[in-house]
Amino acid sequence: MAAPLLVLDDIRKVYTRGRIVRRPTFTLQANLSLDEAGIVGVVGPNGAGKTTLFEMMTGSNAPTSGRVLVAGTDIHGVKYRERDRLAIHYHQSYQVRRFRKRVPSAFLAPSPTRTPLVHLFDEPQFNLQDGYIGFMLDFFRKLRNDGRLVILCMHPTAAWHLDILAEIAGRFLFVAGGGVTPMADFGALVADPRCRAYLGPEMTKAADAICPGAVHSST
Amino acid sequence: MSMLEAAGVHVRFGDRVVLESVDLAVAEGEFHGVMGPNGAGKTTFFNVLTGRVKPSRGKIRLGGEDVTGLSPHRIANKGIARSFQIMTLFDEFSARDNVMMGLPEFRARGLDIARAAAGDRRFAEQASDALAAVGLADKGDVRAKDLSYGDRRALEIAVALAQAPRVLCLDEPTSGLGSDGVQRLATLVARLKGKLTIVAIEHDMEFLFSLADRISVIHWGQVVARGTPHELQQNEWVRRSNLGKFA
Repeated sequence: MAAPLLVLDDIRKVYTRGRIVRRPTFTLQANLSLDEAGIVGVVGPNGAGKTTLFEMMTGSNAPTSGRVLVAGTDIHGVKYRERDRLAIHYHQSYQVRRFRKRVPSAFLAPSPTRTPLVHLFDEPQFNLQDGYIGFMLDFFRKLRNDGRLVILCMHPTAAWHLDILAEIAGRFLFVAGGGVTPMADFGALVADPRCRAYLGPEMTKAADAICPGAVHSST
Repeated sequence: MSMLEAAGVHVRFGDRVVLESVDLAVAEGEFHGVMGPNGAGKTTFFNVLTGRVKPSRGKIRLGGEDVTGLSPHRIANKGIARSFQIMTLFDEFSARDNVMMGLPEFRARGLDIARAAAGDRRFAEQASDALAAVGLADKGDVRAKDLSYGDRRALEIAVALAQAPRVLCLDEPTSGLGSDGVQRLATLVARLKGKLTIVAIEHDMEFLFSLADRISVIHWGQVVARGTPHELQQNEWVRRSNLGKFA
C-alpha cells in the first residue's frame, strides 16, 4: 500500500525565550495522518499556530521533535531546494519567514518526487468581482483529482468564504491554542464550540445556514 | 506543431516559487490571452519566453526549435518580439526612427554607419509600413515624447511589428489607455489577429474576452485554468462575477 500523503508524526514545536534559562513561550503539537488525495480546509484564530504548522509541513521550519512525512519521506531530511518538490507553500504575499539551515544540503537526501504532492494555500485572496474564485476552486479540484493533497487555510469574514469552504473541502483541521483537531466534515467543524467561538455570532449563523442541523447531530 | 511552446517551466527566486511547471502551446496565428492577479507570475513568464529570465527547469520552443536560455537579442532575432508593461521608447527620436531602430537589419549595420543607414529608403519604407499598420502613418516625423499616450502604445507595437516577428508578446497593452484608446487598440489587434501569433497579458477582461482565441489563467505561478473565453465563462463562480457579464 502507498504511504499516506502527509503524516505529522507526533510533531512538537516549542518557541522559547531567554538565552540561559529557556522559557517556552508557545508550543504547537500535532499528531495526525492525511492518507489520501483531497482538499483539507484549515481554520483557526490568529496566533493559534497555523503558520508554524504550515512551515513545518512544507519543510521550512523544523519541529523541535517528531517528523513530517510526505508520502513516506521525512521532508526535513530532504535538500532545502528540493523540499518544494514534495510540499509547496503558497504564502500570503507579505509573509515569508526564513529559518536557519543547520545541516548543509550536501548531507541531505534528494527529493524522491519531481512534482509536489502537498499544496498548501495560505489565506489566498478571494474576490467575488473578478471571477478568479471559480478558476482557483477548479484548480484545487484538478490537483485533488491528480492525486495531490490540497490544504487551504482561510479566515472566514464573509458568508461566501464559508460557502467556499463548504463547497470545496472534504475535511478540516481546526487549529487553536497550539493544538490541531481533525474534523470529518463542515458540519462537525461548525458544531465544535471552539470553532463557533472563533467564528463569532454572525459567521456562526451563516455557517449554520449552510449546514442546518450540524449542532444537533453532533450532540 | 505549436508556434510557441513552453514545457514544464519552473522559476525560483531564492525560496520563492515564482513559476511552477507552466505549460503553454500556442498555435500559429492564435491570439492567446494570459490573465491573473498581480504577482501571479505573468510578467516573469514573459521574461522567460523572451530570454530575460532563465528557467530553473523547463523548455521554450519556437516553431519546434529549442530556444531555452538564449539571450534576449538572440530570441528576438529568432522571431519573438515583445512590448513592455512600462513603455520603452527613445523619447527624443521620431516615431519612424524608433521603429527603424527595431529593425534587425538596421541594427546589424552597427553604429558607425547608422547615420547613413537612416537615409536608406528601404528601412524608412519598412518603418512606414509598420507605422501605417498601427495607424500612425502621418506621425512618422513626430518625436516619441510629443505623441499622445495612446499613440505611444501603438508605436511600441509598431516597433515590435517592424521586426516581422513570428510571435508578438504584449505585456498589458491597454494599461493607461482610456476607453477610446482601448477601442483603437482592439481594432488594431483584431486586424493583426490570424496573421500573427500573439500572446498578451491583459487585465482588461472585456478586451481579452472579446479578442482572445484562448486564455490561460495564471495564479500562484501556475496555469490554474485554460480554455476559450466561452469555456472559461461556464464556471458558476465566474458567472457570479464581473467576468460573467461578457458572456
